[in-house]
Amino acid sequence: MIEFRNLKKKFGDHSVLDGVDLLVREGETLALLGPSGTGKSVLLKHAIGLLEPDEGDVIVDGISITRASSFELAEVRRKVGYVFQNAALFDSLTVAENLWLAQNDENGKRTLPDCREEAIELLGKVNLKPAVLDKYPAELSGGMRKRVGVARAIASRPRYLLWDEPTTGLDPVNADNIDELIMEVSQDLGVTSIVVTHDLDTAFEVFIDRIALLYEGKVRASATPAEILNSEDPVVKRFVRRTRIEAQR
Amino acid sequence: MSLKRLLKPFRAGLERTGRATLLIWAILKVLPRPRLYLSSALQHAYVIGIQSLPLVLFIAALGGAVTSQQSGAQFTGGLPLWVIGSVLAASVITELGPLLTAIVMTARVGASIAAELASMQVTEQIDALRAMGRDPVAFLVVPRVVAGIIVFPPLVVLADASGLFAGWAVGQIAVDGLTSGDIIYGMRYYFRPWSLIFSVIKGTVFGFAVAFTACLVGLEGGGGAEGVGKTTTAAVVITIVMLMVLDVLLAPVLKAA
Repeated sequence: MIEFRNLKKKFGDHSVLDGVDLLVREGETLALLGPSGTGKSVLLKHAIGLLEPDEGDVIVDGISITRASSFELAEVRRKVGYVFQNAALFDSLTVAENLWLAQNDENGKRTLPDCREEAIELLGKVNLKPAVLDKYPAELSGGMRKRVGVARAIASRPRYLLWDEPTTGLDPVNADNIDELIMEVSQDLGVTSIVVTHDLDTAFEVFIDRIALLYEGKVRASATPAEILNSEDPVVKRFVRRTRIEAQR
Repeated sequence: MSLKRLLKPFRAGLERTGRATLLIWAILKVLPRPRLYLSSALQHAYVIGIQSLPLVLFIAALGGAVTSQQSGAQFTGGLPLWVIGSVLAASVITELGPLLTAIVMTARVGASIAAELASMQVTEQIDALRAMGRDPVAFLVVPRVVAGIIVFPPLVVLADASGLFAGWAVGQIAVDGLTSGDIIYGMRYYFRPWSLIFSVIKGTVFGFAVAFTACLVGLEGGGGAEGVGKTTTAAVVITIVMLMVLDVLLAPVLKAA
């Protein structure tokens, strides 16, 4: 369970999060929606202590991220797989080495060859061929890099998966593929997922249990996709309508 | 101009000093665990050392050549010519060898480290490391700093040798009446083993300074491609200022011995 409690964060004089309260229950897949610049990715980064809040707290499995020791924080991070917006693969390392970093903790004794079979399996889960293992990220397409990013995120067999704008920058076909991948991975691994997206197709049509709409630094609405679609809240209605119009253009 | 804006550079300097202190502390915590960084540090040291060697030798040779020519121009008719050998040895071993090596390495290696880390920061690769429970200091900073400390002393000794050899060769051609024997006599007259040890100490300190400053500034990178460019420039400028300050601070060490 991940709980954000009255989370506040400013960058300079600009307040991005202004008291976010949100509970992500065990096993659910939650879509975090909101206009650009409302702090969706910032909120996600707080979940594993990549950013420190100015006020408030994040509790992951009973551990306060703001008060956790470095050992506790490392424990929490090992339970979480993070899929970055642009994959964030280490460009000086091959795909195999990228996966190996996640397969092994820093004290681990598994060598690169030890992890190769498992790496091939991981690539299979994201529909990539074993030949990709020896390539560098720069030699892969955007969609393939995202898939490798997903493989790396699931390499440590996480309980939680955090997806930061997984379909941004992809063509519709690749975006659909990634949507399917999110669904497959979430179901196969039985993980709790938070998906940051502004893609309503991802949020409404694919798999989401619940949607939270972030607006002006707070959670404006948190409900099932059907409830969000039928919401009478003018902000929610406007966001849904506007996003739909943009998607149709 | 408001007081806040006037104080901004001082505040930025204090903040960077604070970050530098924290980074040194983080490095010290990792150092007792060589398993985490040693193999990567040796790889970095090999790559940095081998790739930089030709340029370091060339620049040091130019430094030695210029020193013997200019001292020749100034001493002819005033001082015995063998003094050129002493000036050459003193300048190259205690000053030009370590400093030119450090400046070449700042341009060649420091800039590259800063740009690489800043680019990793911009593309969230450093966040990705932390997200996997890895310590970016152990994974990225310590190997580079240790590599700098390992690779600088031998490079400085080779730079010293290159500078002395070039100064000896060019001096005989450029200064009328100067013989090989004069230069060697002058060098031997000046030379004390402590000078060479001092040169190596300087090289080690400079090696730490170049790699550490590049890492410190590189990790502060942000703001896209433009930010990476600014970070790289800042790393080079700050490192060169730092090297000159360290050069002044280390001078009494030579005198003390």
